[in-house]
Amino acid sequence: MEEERVVITGLGAINSIAKSVPEFYKALQEGVCGIGPITVFDTTDSRTRTGGEVKGLNHKDIFPRKFSVKRMSRSDIMAMAATLEALKDAGFFPVPDELLEDTGVVIGGGAGGMLECEEAYRYYHTGMNKNVQFSSFSSLCCASSGDHIASSLSLMGPKTTFMTACSSGATAIGYARDLIRNKMAKVIIAGGTEPLSRITYASFNSLKAVDKEYCKPFDKNRQGLSLGEGAGIMILESLSHAKSRGARIYGEVLGYGVSCDSYHMTAPDPEASGAVRCMNAALQDAGVHHTLVNYVNAHGTATPANDLMETRGIKKVFGERAYKIPVSSTKSMTGHTLGASGAIEGVVSVLSIVYRFIPPTIHRTEPDPECDLDYVTEGSRKEDVSIVLSNSFAFGGNNTSIVFGRFTEKGVINE
Amino acid sequence: MSRRVVVTGVGMVTPLGVGKDTFSQKLFKGDSGIRPITSFDTSRFPSSLGAQVSDFIPKDFISRKNLRKMDRLSRMAAASSRMAIDDAGVNMDSINMDRMGIILGTAYGSTDVSVQFAGILFDEGPRMVSPSLVPNSVMNAPAGHTSIELKFRGVNSTVNHHEASAETAIAYAASEIKRGSTDVMLTGGAEIISEFFFEILNRFRALSTSNEGSEEARPFDTMRNGFVAGEGSGILCLEDMEHAKARGATPYCEIVGWGMSAYPSPPTDWPSDPKGPVLAMTKALESAEIAPDKIDYICASANGGRKLDILEAEALSGVFATEGRRPFISSIKGAVGESFSSGGIRAAAMAVSIKEKVIPPTLGLKNPIKPLQFVLNKNKEAQINFGMVNGFSSGGTFVSIILKKIK
Repeated sequence: MEEERVVITGLGAINSIAKSVPEFYKALQEGVCGIGPITVFDTTDSRTRTGGEVKGLNHKDIFPRKFSVKRMSRSDIMAMAATLEALKDAGFFPVPDELLEDTGVVIGGGAGGMLECEEAYRYYHTGMNKNVQFSSFSSLCCASSGDHIASSLSLMGPKTTFMTACSSGATAIGYARDLIRNKMAKVIIAGGTEPLSRITYASFNSLKAVDKEYCKPFDKNRQGLSLGEGAGIMILESLSHAKSRGARIYGEVLGYGVSCDSYHMTAPDPEASGAVRCMNAALQDAGVHHTLVNYVNAHGTATPANDLMETRGIKKVFGERAYKIPVSSTKSMTGHTLGASGAIEGVVSVLSIVYRFIPPTIHRTEPDPECDLDYVTEGSRKEDVSIVLSNSFAFGGNNTSIVFGRFTEKGVINE
Repeated sequence: MSRRVVVTGVGMVTPLGVGKDTFSQKLFKGDSGIRPITSFDTSRFPSSLGAQVSDFIPKDFISRKNLRKMDRLSRMAAASSRMAIDDAGVNMDSINMDRMGIILGTAYGSTDVSVQFAGILFDEGPRMVSPSLVPNSVMNAPAGHTSIELKFRGVNSTVNHHEASAETAIAYAASEIKRGSTDVMLTGGAEIISEFFFEILNRFRALSTSNEGSEEARPFDTMRNGFVAGEGSGILCLEDMEHAKARGATPYCEIVGWGMSAYPSPPTDWPSDPKGPVLAMTKALESAEIAPDKIDYICASANGGRKLDILEAEALSGVFATEGRRPFISSIKGAVGESFSSGGIRAAAMAVSIKEKVIPPTLGLKNPIKPLQFVLNKNKEAQINFGMVNGFSSGGTFVSIILKKIK
């Protein structure tokens, strides 16, 4: 029995530089920076003050009238916003009745409803039990976003939520591909979502992993990441189903790989062995020879350890060709959206294929002699991108890489 | 040819004891792990019972170097993983560590650490929080710690879906072995009861209380009035069948199919229409390519909750025959409580049931809500060729997994 190929037929995105995919494409092309002062919570006593915040998030502008946002957290609302955009884009809004049982939801989460829970935590701690809004804890479990999406759209297909910190969104897309390939669903709403929250912000600051200005991936003076928020969603569909309804196909999920550093809970293995195994596993799963990759969408957090490790890893995977492949970190624009990053960068990867361009790495002004690849620092670049490798590496040593490709009838042809 | 997935080992830290032998002996005997909670003061809550883990000595299973970095949740997961590997007889010096992984289910993670972190953040300010708390406050910490302790480097992931967290994890783990990304995969769930989490469960009025009758876990019973909170971890060692054969392992059983579904439901609440769980069970039967009458035993998801139990009973009545040849049904949550990611412990219990030919009793069940073939207060000896484990969760997520005896 031939395995189903899995294609992308809809995209949705919200983050600090865009509230829709067309806006996102434009901002990526122009190299817009979304990192600035945080306003969703008070940063007065924090070590740093900046982040990639989604400004003016108003659900009334986004959702159809009478659409209930009851008990939805900021994270849920962003996930829902990106989902509605992606479904409309794919021509699936509303989802047809005959497809409800075959449509699933796979979401990668991070802090989930943490921003809302924090108020409850605060009162809980001060002993002001009367003020604790315990209903806000209903969104504590990251599964909340997937639950809201499936319930409000009446979906009955498989539902799974990943929580592997910074690689959640990427793993969600990979697993969604498997579910369709194994015929457990025809359509999957796949992606990730992440809100800014005080707890996350304090965590990364306590590790001194945050740059006080804005993150500077692969720069000599990089001092850490900038936290961001947002959601990225893609509609994955079996090729046969997409063809049967004459859908526009953006690209194909060719393969993915997952590995574990088994090294340290918060530091990457400096020799990049986990990252290399992950990238190789993704290429192998995709059946793509590494010489065919023409863009690497880097994890590129701008922490001193990650960028050096990732550069080493790319060299180990691609050999001499590493210097010729454009590598960029779009976190330099959006900030690091943790659980959503793999999905938002998945959207970036697909856009690079559709619009044949490579988004830049901004804020890199002084090259690090040890980070010596082509990081596309001069601005976005026109390039006939056909196969993209997108990396997500997380705390806990969780690594996920995905390979996206331009859709062709014949599939990938290795020389 | 398609790869087949077998269960070659189990390990657990449960309210009924640590390790397969103690756990299964007590489970089949009909002992209960539910007692008054002693780790914190419950006097301000309407509920006082819990199924807590005691007699757990982490250093018997975990190296000191890694142990001191782990919180309680990670210790349970890592210890259960060690036990599962030992039970499977996997030689960690000779297998390919790049092709061994873990996929763990946990619904709420280390709520004790999160509360401690939040306490410092709000009492003393963001610059006073300790970086040493951060690694354990993320939900993927137990899987990360376990991989470091056991030194395997393959697929590593963490999933959460309330009461169905572990079943969702097991489905993904089995799928990964079939995909060929790994040969050996640890999977299951881990969860702890913290005072904070216990308070939330009380506020959501999910727990059994003595305000309405007696406080007790009564799965599928007409007198049920909520569940009893549980904790613990249960891990299965899954393996590619050929890999297991090549090293001469004797599997407990094979995972032959699973089904996953959703159904519209209010947040953290249950739908009233049984279509969601019916779909999950039907899809599982289809993927295992068997008829409903082939199932001999169902390890149910029911926990004594008012809505879940009737939902599951109605779904079971819809999928399986109500007379003639029909499956035995029991829920071990009457003995181990509802630990949200209990699916690891329950799937491990199923593996042991298939091997030992014994079905554990449903403690607390006296007057069934539906005329199904429940195993009441005493275990039942039975040949189990096909067993089904159900993991149904609030928010509308349903998973059913089918395990088959290997002849």
